[in-house]
Amino acid sequence: MSEYLKIDDIHKDFSGLKVLTGINLTIAQRERHAVIGPNGAGKTTLFNIISGKFRPSRGAILFKGTDISRKPPHVLNRHGLSRSFQITNIFQDLSVFDNVLSGVRSKYGLKYHFFRRPDRDRRIVEEVRALVEEVGLKEVMHLPASALSYGQQRALEIAIALSTSPELILLDEPTAGMTREETAQCIRMIDRVIADRTLLIIEHDMDVVFSLADRISVLHYGTIIATGRPEEIRNDQRVKDAYLGEG
Amino acid sequence: MKTVKAGPYLTAAGLFALMAAAPFVIKPYHLNMLTEIIIFALYAVSYNLLLGYAGLLSFGHAMFFGMGAFSVAVGLIHIPGLGLGEVILLALAVATLTGLAAGLLLLRHKGSYFALLTLAFNALFYAVATKWHEITGGDDGLSITRPDLNLGFTSLPMASLENFYYFTLVVVGLIILFCWYFTKTAMGQSVLMMRENEERMKFLGYNTNVNRLILFTFTGALAGVAGAFYTLHFQFCSQSAISIDMTTTVLLMTFVGGTGTFMGPVLGAFVFIILQNYLSDITDRWPLFMGLIFIFMVLFVPGGLSQLAGKIKDLVVGKKEGAAALSAQGGNHE
Ligand SMILES: Nc1ncnc2c1ncn2[C@@H]1O[C@H](COP(=O)(O)OP(=O)(O)OP(=O)(O)O)[C@@H](O)[C@H]1O
Ligand SMILES: [Mg+2]
Repeated sequence: MSEYLKIDDIHKDFSGLKVLTGINLTIAQRERHAVIGPNGAGKTTLFNIISGKFRPSRGAILFKGTDISRKPPHVLNRHGLSRSFQITNIFQDLSVFDNVLSGVRSKYGLKYHFFRRPDRDRRIVEEVRALVEEVGLKEVMHLPASALSYGQQRALEIAIALSTSPELILLDEPTAGMTREETAQCIRMIDRVIADRTLLIIEHDMDVVFSLADRISVLHYGTIIATGRPEEIRNDQRVKDAYLGEG
Repeated sequence: MKTVKAGPYLTAAGLFALMAAAPFVIKPYHLNMLTEIIIFALYAVSYNLLLGYAGLLSFGHAMFFGMGAFSVAVGLIHIPGLGLGEVILLALAVATLTGLAAGLLLLRHKGSYFALLTLAFNALFYAVATKWHEITGGDDGLSITRPDLNLGFTSLPMASLENFYYFTLVVVGLIILFCWYFTKTAMGQSVLMMRENEERMKFLGYNTNVNRLILFTFTGALAGVAGAFYTLHFQFCSQSAISIDMTTTVLLMTFVGGTGTFMGPVLGAFVFIILQNYLSDITDRWPLFMGLIFIFMVLFVPGGLSQLAGKIKDLVVGKKEGAAALSAQGGNHE
């Protein structure tokens, strides 16, 4: 399916402030697509629209052929779409295990049950442990999330996003604020866990972008000024002017 | 991790055994108080599921308590031959429906709007109870006689204080135990997540509106059962059962006991009922003293008595064992 995710003429104004002015972008299944652009370009706003947090002022988002642009986040999650947040958005007082459990049990429909305990379900528990290990948090599995270091919380943020086993994943600056080593480690982890899913990632770190992405889109003042393979973007004059600066 | 922890169940069994022995040890006056404590413990536990676990501040919990209480009185007066079990089920049904209806109307509002609307709703229910004299008895209230418990092969006379005490202990005790279990279930854990980070939940496939409505209805139903037992206990129901005072009562119990643990409100009900009984024997100004105690608690022991007890226990037994078995409100899933 070549039109796996189609962003069609998306506009967004916040009471007069035009943040997105006609975004068009098509993403293929299993593509790893990075969105870059200066601060305030509208990258997070675009993610907020795709993931159902905001409704677009105009335009549509087609996911596997259906318009999802006006559906609430919990419905989109059940369609197989999940996201992480630029500002860490975890369950601070719950353990790492319970943070990840929240998504895994949701996937198995164990959300509102009055009698069943999710922590007594072997399949679910195993899956949570595997995911916690995968993101490198095995040692702190039973600590409250608030006790983790910043880098660990960022890893947890990604683990939560992955916990419902989505087929389309949106990561909003996963490595923001990490040290160089943490970033490198995090990228290897993302590369591994994404496997053959479809990834849409917002990232400022150009090394990350160029090593992870198949294609890159450059967002500038609410529109996409270029889309292409990493080497094309690197050599694009408009992009150099707008964003990469010295190039 | 999958070995069922016996601790909480042992604690519960011990508590049950202790309370089962009570009629042999204490005076009828105190047995009456103990019955009242059990009933109010359920009321407070149900309130804490909203306040402590879900982080929802409601000033309208008495409407469910009162609906349960009046269902029993009105049911016994108007439906001849209604059994004890049936009348409690009637109260449960009425409180559940009230919870669902109120939830549908109120839950679209958040925070202080929600709190104020529950208060207004409660006031409305109170006004109806006062004015609708033919049904509710108005200021005079309604007197009833407890029906006996029909066990099929025999019938247990409920006029006996001991028998009613045991009946309350078993039924309400088991419901409270279920409430504790509930905090570990999928729904119970979803309630905790809602308090922690409702927004993130939505992105994990949870419909938090449904979540909140189910919880609100459930806690309303529990409060209704407590109200039903309240009428059965006093064999009387007046509009005070549905008054703002009855909401304040549960608020005080929960705060004094502590919202941070499951057992806190149970402890709160215990202390509240005892204090109320003794203070009202000594002085007519007992509400003033209750108020002062409440202010003192909120200012100096915001975590309530259960937190205080936990700290003392930590000092005496050391940190590790001090983590009380029944107070597992976080992610204690081992
Ligand atoms: N809910 C909102 N209400 C009003 N304005 C908003 C809202 N969300 C975002 N904006 C505005 O939209 C613009 C784009 O914000 P957005 O967060 O999408 O940028 P971004 O590209 O993600 O930037 P950064 O790289 O700093 O994360 C900013 O000017 C911001 O102030
Ligand atoms: Mg952003």
